[in-house]
Amino acid sequence: MSETPQVVQMQFEDAEQQSEAAQLGMWTFLASEALFFGGIFLGYAAMRALHPDAFAEASGSLDVVLGTLNTALLLLSSLFMALADLAVHHGSKRRQIVLLGLVAALGLAFLGIKLYEYHHEWTLGNVPVLQWSREGARDDGAMLFYVLYFAMTGLHAIHMIVGIGAMFVVIFMIHFGKAGSHRPLPVEMLALYWHFVDIVWIFLFPMLYLIGGGSG
Amino acid sequence: MAFAGLLALLGLTVAASRLRIGPWGVALAIAIASAKAGLVMAFFMQLRRRGALVTVFALGGVLWLGILFALAFADYATR
Repeated sequence: MSETPQVVQMQFEDAEQQSEAAQLGMWTFLASEALFFGGIFLGYAAMRALHPDAFAEASGSLDVVLGTLNTALLLLSSLFMALADLAVHHGSKRRQIVLLGLVAALGLAFLGIKLYEYHHEWTLGNVPVLQWSREGARDDGAMLFYVLYFAMTGLHAIHMIVGIGAMFVVIFMIHFGKAGSHRPLPVEMLALYWHFVDIVWIFLFPMLYLIGGGSG
Repeated sequence: MAFAGLLALLGLTVAASRLRIGPWGVALAIAIASAKAGLVMAFFMQLRRRGALVTVFALGGVLWLGILFALAFADYATR
């Protein structure tokens, strides 16, 4: 199958070298992001080891059904993203845009559900400082859990928002011919970023929602 | 194909969480999550296709994460 000839910047010998350079750069960035999330994951892991019962109890207020649904949505969005990546090499412009649009739509659905969950925690009085209705000492595990829950999922949500924004930018780029089969790198790099954000959630979900049997 | 595997693992994750196997539950959950992440990295992120150097960079990130956790927990475990 013949590929569309690609625009190669002058410092590169060929398209393949250009692509590899971009990938190495992107993976380096993703490694830095992994350590970024890793720090807060470590904090969570340590605090959970110190307050196992309080964490298990607090985790019970999270809705496992919604969490599972969200995980499935993100996995599906990653599938569409991979298909979009494929379409950039072997598909039409319209196909690329539709697939990227689907990824963005799924991402927005995820955020919508997350927002609903945050609201639910608010009504239960589980939001530290802003809307907290539990009794007990401030250094007990429950408040720690919720601080970590909102911090970790909030950080993840910010990454999702950036990713969805970038999705629309790339859609416009393809529409106006600035990206696509002749210039696949924006889509490829966005795909790597999006898969990474999915992987973060893949770890977030069991860590936060599935402690101690996942009740609630 | 890979997606079907991912969904299966997701189902497994939730089902497994309902087993009360105590401290091993965490290790199992992480193992399943790692398997899913591995599938995403290999197939969706095309590490299988792209060659050795890119894989080294990708796994390097994982390695450094491992160093972070290993050293931190070495401290906690020996207090």
